[in-house]
Amino acid sequence: MIHLGRSQVDLTWLAHEFPDLTDLKAIATGGQKQVFAACHATEGEVVVKLMHPGTDPARTERELAAASRVQAPRMPRIFEHGRLTTNTGTIIWFREQRIPGQALSDRIQVGPLSFHELLRLALHVSETLVAAEAVSIVHRDVKPANIIVDPQGEFWLIDFGVARHLDLESLTATAAMGGCGTVGYAPAEQCRNLKPDIDARADLFALGVTLYEAATCCNPHIEGARDQMEVIRRASTQQLPRLAPPLSEDFADLVVTLTQPNLVHRCQTALEAYEWIRELCEREGVQ
Amino acid sequence: MELYLQFGFGMMEHCRHLLSEWGGGTVVLSPRDLNDKQLRSLAADVAGIQGGKTLLDPQFYVPHADHDRLCAHSFWPADFGSGSFFDGPEMEALVRQVVELNEDLGTEAIILPGTIANPVDDLWIAHHQSILTRARDLTGDSKVYVTLALGADTVRDRAQVNILLEAATSWNADGYYIVCEHPNGDYLVRDAIWLAHVLDLTAGLRLARARVILGYCNHQMLVARVAGANAICSGTWMNVRSFPPEKFHKDYDDEIRRRATWYYCPQALSEFKIPFLDVAHEQGVLELMKPPSELDGGYVPQLFSGVQPSSVRLSEQAAFRHYLHALRGQAQALEAEGYDEARHQHGETLDDAERLLSTLRSNGVLGANRDFTDSLDVNRAALALLDRQRGPILRRRWASFG
Repeated sequence: MIHLGRSQVDLTWLAHEFPDLTDLKAIATGGQKQVFAACHATEGEVVVKLMHPGTDPARTERELAAASRVQAPRMPRIFEHGRLTTNTGTIIWFREQRIPGQALSDRIQVGPLSFHELLRLALHVSETLVAAEAVSIVHRDVKPANIIVDPQGEFWLIDFGVARHLDLESLTATAAMGGCGTVGYAPAEQCRNLKPDIDARADLFALGVTLYEAATCCNPHIEGARDQMEVIRRASTQQLPRLAPPLSEDFADLVVTLTQPNLVHRCQTALEAYEWIRELCEREGVQ
Repeated sequence: MELYLQFGFGMMEHCRHLLSEWGGGTVVLSPRDLNDKQLRSLAADVAGIQGGKTLLDPQFYVPHADHDRLCAHSFWPADFGSGSFFDGPEMEALVRQVVELNEDLGTEAIILPGTIANPVDDLWIAHHQSILTRARDLTGDSKVYVTLALGADTVRDRAQVNILLEAATSWNADGYYIVCEHPNGDYLVRDAIWLAHVLDLTAGLRLARARVILGYCNHQMLVARVAGANAICSGTWMNVRSFPPEKFHKDYDDEIRRRATWYYCPQALSEFKIPFLDVAHEQGVLELMKPPSELDGGYVPQLFSGVQPSSVRLSEQAAFRHYLHALRGQAQALEAEGYDEARHQHGETLDDAERLLSTLRSNGVLGANRDFTDSLDVNRAALALLDRQRGPILRRRWASFG
């Protein structure tokens, strides 16, 4: 039986529902779901996501579809999903590969990434965005908290929970100012929920801000802002300061382009950005 | 960057002469200024010159135009019903006849009819896309250019430029023929945002791998090379060096009635009436205004022969040919290896012009409304915006512009 409360799932109950899982522990609670780490008998370290009762099932199905359609090497695999009936309603759950390591947001607390780490971050995430673009999916929430750096130094983009399928009708109300995503990383068109304008370029903007933050431990859109409206205004109108040496001029050029407030000034596709990043990596000998 | 000759009043002989002198070049034919017979005759003449090429500007900017010669062309629709024209057989007939005329004339590419956008809206976009789609069905392997004719307020509006870029970069056009009305009817533009947006549009389309030709330009648009433009078009009178949409109406007051001869000093990016060259002569600074040898087509040597310039009676013909020859030289000199070099080159051109204009001004040599002084900072500001918004990507993609 599930206990009442949006994020208060009893671990004993959960273990009973998932007998092939051991070492269950809660690791995160978000607006739509609670996340548990566990060990699976055959699949090893896994994550179990339980959507809060009442969460729009269509959105969850979109996340599942996104995760299974996007064929990228560095995004978690979904092993299984299903529904649980409880006395508070139906809960959708899914079990996916757990990526060992730490969130980039935690890693940045320690200090900025090295230039080679930044290039790898750009390369790995852009590679996933290219795969998403190929199937008309926009992640819409690229940010340090949704990127895991594993012990091998590889960067995994996680959580397609608010992904947009460009060939499907939007699930976000048109009138919903702010749309989906995270203020401070989302570009103007996403903050204003201008749906026809939201495509891979929105993710590229967020990747650019993430790269900037990983290089400087600072997000100038957020730093010192009075409120969310000011963050949105900054992201909509202000360019980030140019990254300084010892980072290369070419890398600074890349970040300037990705983070242009106006979408027509960014790279126009994820593939274009990826090719640029790959060239930088090759020049610097980054695999 | 190439200079194409934008055909205007009285340019027939200029075109023949200059293309022969240059060993080729491109003339943009004007149905407003040439009847059908003249169009065919000039196109044949140009084709007969080694390296001579033509384009046809269908000048469908104002479908309700009533200019007699323009409307007498067979492609011009007898009845323009704005409600259904673009959805019905009338548009198809227009496109078909323009394509056929291009084939008859042997043009280098087909410039499609386009109406002036004031503003760029869904309907305007849909019309132009329909025209392109229809043209693609008819043209086979011919290169097709979409006309983007924009009112001054449209160009100034960031949102409309965005809408246009978003739409046009997804079209399957080989290139774009961009025609922009100047703000306030100015010959030299004093509005940095207008110029910045023209550059942004140019760069955006070039980055989308299309060719860009800017129509109705004067020397201020040499800056377009920094945005990657392939060609600018210019001609003799001011109404082919800027774009007044009203010239396609019969009651347009041609400036030709107000003739004056202007000398273009390319290193000052400015034009001067001959009496002011007399002032320069008396002040001992005339030699500073002499065209550098690489821009000198030999049309104006008498101005610098040591006598009072007005006494040599520079002909209008020589003044026009000098302007176009010098402008072509300036455009071609902008073949930079990279974006930074192109930007630096134009910056130096502006700096050099500023120094010279300052010297000339202090000596009482003034260019009135063709003095570039007030436009120097306009070009600099537009370049700064271009650099901030697109500099990195232009730097990276420059080599692919070809």
